Amino acid sequence: MISIDFINTYLLSVVVFSLLLNFALSIYGIFYRPHYIKKIIALTVLSDTANTFAIYIGYRRWASGGNTNPRPPVIPTTEITPGVLSEFVARSVDPLPQALVLTAVVIGLAVTIFLVFLGHQLFNHYKTLDMRRIKKLKE
Amino acid sequence: MQRLVKTLVLVSIILGFSLILTIAPEYFIPGEAVRPLAVFYLSTTFNPWIPHLTVNSPEAVTAIVWDYRGLDTLFETAVFYLALIAGIALARGVSIKAEPGNGVGLTVIVKTVTKITAPMVVSVGASIGLHGHLTPGGGFQGGATIAVIPLIIIVTFSIFFVIGRGVTKEKMLVLRSIGLVGIGLTALAALIVGLALGKTAYVFQNMAKPTSEVSLPAYFNGSLISGTLWFFNLFEMIAVAAGFTIAFLLLTYPEKKEGENT
Repeated sequence: MISIDFINTYLLSVVVFSLLLNFALSIYGIFYRPHYIKKIIALTVLSDTANTFAIYIGYRRWASGGNTNPRPPVIPTTEITPGVLSEFVARSVDPLPQALVLTAVVIGLAVTIFLVFLGHQLFNHYKTLDMRRIKKLKE
Repeated sequence: MQRLVKTLVLVSIILGFSLILTIAPEYFIPGEAVRPLAVFYLSTTFNPWIPHLTVNSPEAVTAIVWDYRGLDTLFETAVFYLALIAGIALARGVSIKAEPGNGVGLTVIVKTVTKITAPMVVSVGASIGLHGHLTPGGGFQGGATIAVIPLIIIVTFSIFFVIGRGVTKEKMLVLRSIGLVGIGLTALAALIVGLALGKTAYVFQNMAKPTSEVSLPAYFNGSLISGTLWFFNLFEMIAVAAGFTIAFLLLTYPEKKEGENT
């Protein structure tokens, strides 16, 4: 009989490994894909991987033998009682990484918008976005 | 250089595999308890029994974003604003050179579906943004949802339709500035109230603090607005929606006449 705790551990290990693989793939994309747009896509994958990792750090394991699941950091009611509050504190995940990720997502989008405009200027100037050809045109 | 990167990628994949097979279950799996700081945030985010520390918002993430760490979010908004200004500066020579042709846009089916779904998407975005202090969401998420609609209308109807309806770059810039000025005024609201009443108050203050009794109303007409959080979400939603619309407009300006390819 496979316990819920084992499945939890296994699935979370898969998450860690996928994040590392994603990280490696996005670095490969940034360095190896010759096209400017592909580089931007790889950069967004890299920043999303870092964000997911931050959220993962704030996650909480299922408590008491895998019977109590963690909950999002939102109180589901506005009529609060001490019981609701103590259950919320006991079961909710860490809200701080999520808030920092929200900030990081906005800044990532701002950087992406800037890079896209830069690509627009590059295309106007060189008539191509292929980095190999731009390198040759410069020389 | 390329060989080095290739080796690094390979080594990190192999290290990741070995990590997963050996020590990951012991060290890289989150525990059953959260950090003491998280316990503080969770237990004070909506706690009427500690009136000098609470934010009166059931959504802990929005409480951190706009209250506990509000200055971070202010500078994040500044970064977003500066990146967009840089984008507009890079696109300074961009102007519409094509003429609106006949039969622009997609088919009648797509146009009708867009007409039906556009008000729905805008209302969902407004709901995400304005309920940010109660449910998951907030100003940025709501604004980004609303900004989808100008993009869809540009694709289905054409950019001339959007500009003909008065959604120009200049007007969106004014709307965005209104949102940013609103964020600034909301950040100073408690300080202005404190100066008017002759009491101690701080910039970015929301609820009463142990050293300052100035408090913005947590409830308006019986419903929870969490002081400044609702206003921050409203103005951030306006600023983000208008900012993304500027970017989409500038990136979709047709710069060539029809049939011209070079």
